[in-house]
Amino acid sequence: MMGCAVARSRFSITRLPGFGLIAILTFVMLYLPIVILVAFSFNEGISQSRWEGFSLQWYQAAFNNSQVRDVSLRSLWLAVTAASFATILATLAALGTTRVGRFPGQTMIYALINQPLMVPEIVTGIALLIFVAAIKVQTGYTGMGYLVAAHTAFCIPFAYLPIRARLETLDHALEAAAADLYASPIQAFRYITLPLMVPGILAGFMLGFVISLDTVVITEFVKSAGQDTLPTYMLGQLRRSVTPEMNAIATLFLALSLMIVTAFFFITRTRGR
Amino acid sequence: MSQEIEITGLNKSFGQGAAAFHALRAIDLTIATGEFFTLLGPSGCGKTTLLRIIAGFEEPSTGVLRINGKDVTGLGPDKRPINTVFQSYALFPHMSVAQNIGFGLKMLGKPKSEIKATVAEMLQLVRMEAMADRLPSEISGGQQQRVALARALAPRPRVLLLDEPLSALDLKLRKEMQSELKRLQTETGITFVFVTHDQEEALTMSDRIAVMSAGEILQLGPPQEIYNAPVNRFVADFIGDTNFLRLRLRVKAVAAGEAVLELPGGKQASARLPASISPPVGSLVTAVIRPEQAEPTPAGQGEMQAVVASATFFGTDTHLHLLLDDAQGFVLRRQNRPDQPSPAPGTKLGLTFAPGALRVLED
Ligand SMILES: Nc1ncnc2c1ncn2[C@@H]1O[C@H](COP(=O)(O)OP(=O)(O)O)[C@@H](O)[C@H]1O
Ligand SMILES: [Mg+2]
Repeated sequence: MMGCAVARSRFSITRLPGFGLIAILTFVMLYLPIVILVAFSFNEGISQSRWEGFSLQWYQAAFNNSQVRDVSLRSLWLAVTAASFATILATLAALGTTRVGRFPGQTMIYALINQPLMVPEIVTGIALLIFVAAIKVQTGYTGMGYLVAAHTAFCIPFAYLPIRARLETLDHALEAAAADLYASPIQAFRYITLPLMVPGILAGFMLGFVISLDTVVITEFVKSAGQDTLPTYMLGQLRRSVTPEMNAIATLFLALSLMIVTAFFFITRTRGR
Repeated sequence: MSQEIEITGLNKSFGQGAAAFHALRAIDLTIATGEFFTLLGPSGCGKTTLLRIIAGFEEPSTGVLRINGKDVTGLGPDKRPINTVFQSYALFPHMSVAQNIGFGLKMLGKPKSEIKATVAEMLQLVRMEAMADRLPSEISGGQQQRVALARALAPRPRVLLLDEPLSALDLKLRKEMQSELKRLQTETGITFVFVTHDQEEALTMSDRIAVMSAGEILQLGPPQEIYNAPVNRFVADFIGDTNFLRLRLRVKAVAAGEAVLELPGGKQASARLPASISPPVGSLVTAVIRPEQAEPTPAGQGEMQAVVASATFFGTDTHLHLLLDDAQGFVLRRQNRPDQPSPAPGTKLGLTFAPGALRVLED
C-alpha cells in the first residue's frame, strides 16, 4: 500500500514504458559513431568496417602530411585570434549591458548581440559571401582579415553569455565598497570587477575558441583560395576518399575539443563560486 | 563640540514629474564629532538613502551637505573621509581578510609597512588575528561582520556609516556586537552614524536618535527624551510599548505645559501638555502612558479601576491586559516575583501612576 501511494504521488519518468530502451538508443546514437570513428583511426588496414589489427600508421601519416599541418595551424591561429577579439568585445558588451544601469533599448541590444544564435548559419554564410565578395572586388585584399572578422563576429555571443552571466552574479555593493574605500573608478575595475570577472572571461574565451575551431559554414563561404581550416579541409578530402587518416585527424580534433570543454567545466565550476 | 556633519534643507526624490517618489523631505540635521548617532525608522523610510547621500553614492535633489564644515556636493565616495559598513558586508570575495582590511590604505597609496602595521592593529581591535589569511567565504557571519568593520575603520575615517550592520546576526551575537561596537566607537573616537529599525538597539547604543518615517525626521534627541517625551503618536508607538487613551481635556495651562484630564471612572489627573499643541478644553485628546509607569493597587483605590482580561508571561515580567471602566484597553507591566502570583482573569484592581507619566499627544 505504502509503495503504491508513493508511486502515485510522485511522477517518475523512469517508470514510463520504454524509458530504458529510449535512453540506451539515445546514447548509442550519440556515442557509437564516434567510438567507431576513433576505433578505426587505429586500424592496421584501410577499411572502415573490418578490423585488421592495431597500428598508429594513420596518425603517422597525418603528422607527415604537410597540408594537414598547415590547415591545423591555420585553424588554431584563427581560433585564438578570433576568440581573443570576440572575448574583448564581449567583455566590453557585458560591462555595457550590466554595469551602467538601465537604458532604453537595452533588451534590443541584448538581442542584437545574440544575432548569430538566432539567424541560421547558412543565411549568415551566404550574406557574408556576398558582402565579402563585394569588398574583395573593391579593395583587391584577399588576406585572412575576412575570416578573422567573420569568426570574431560569430563568436561574440558565445563569449558574451558566460561573461554576462558572471557579471550578473557580481554584487554591485562590491564596487560601491571599493569606491567607499578610496578606489577611483579605474582602480575599482582593476582590483575588484576585473579579477572577479576572470572565470567568466576564461569561459567565454574557451567557448569562442571551440566555436571558431568548429565552424564549417562560415569559413566555407568566406575563405579565399588556400585558406582552408581543418574542418573545411576535412570536408574537401571526404568528397574524394575516406581513409583512416581522416579518422586520426578527427580523433585528435575531438581530443582537443574535449580538453577545452573539460577545462571550461572546471573553471566555471570551481572558480565560478 | 564641533559639527562633523551638517545637513540643511535636504530633499531627495527618485524619478521625474508626477511619477517622482520623495524618499527624503526637508531633512535638517547636525551630527557632532565623536557622536554615536542613530537613524531609526521602519523599513522603507529612507534611512539607507540618507546614508548613501552622506557616503556620496547619491546626490541630494536639493539641499546642502557639509562634512567638517566643507560642502561636499559633487564629491564622489572615494573623495570623502567617510567609510561604510554595508548591510551585506560587501567583503571582496577574492581577497583574504588581511587584504580586505588593507584595501582602503592601499588605495590611499600608503606605504606597505604602514599598511601591514595598521592591518595587524585592526585585526587585533576586532579580535580576528587568527583569521588574517582566510577568505571571506571561510569565516562565519559574525566574523565577516568584524572584518567589514575593521576594513571600514582601517583608513581612520572621520565618520563611519553603518547600515543595519547587526540585522543579519542572531540575538546573542547581536548583543555581543552591540557592546563591541560601542567599545570601538569609544576607543577610536570616530563619529558613528548607525542605521537600525530596531528601537531597542537604538535606545541602548546611541548618544542621539533621529526617528524617521516616510522620508521625514519626526523627532531628534537623546534616547531618554525620545522614550519619555515622544512628540507624536508614531514615535510613541514605534519606540517601546505604549497605552493610548482617549480622555477629555478639563483644564489646560499651556504656559506651564500642563493639563488636567478626566480619567475613566470620573477622577481627574494632571498630564504633561507639549507646547506644540493646544486642543480646546472639553475635547477628547489622545494621552499616552508606558505600561511600566502604572502600578496596580487594591480594587477601589488608585486613579482608575480595571478588571484583568488576560495575562501574558514574558519571563522577567508579565503583561496584564486590563479593561478600564469605560471599556478602553490598558496594558500593565508587572515584574514577576515568586511571592506574588499574577492576578487571574476577572480580578478587579485599581491603577495608580506617578505625576508626569501621563502625556497628551498630537494625534
Ligand atoms: N534608486 C532608487 N530609485 C527609486 N526608489 C528608490 C531608490 N532607492 C530607494 N528608493 C525608495 O526610497 C524609499 C526609501 O528607501 P531606503 O532608503 O532604502 O529605506 P530604508 O533603508 O529606510 O529601508 C523606498 O521606498 C525605496 O523604494
Ligand atoms: Mg535600508
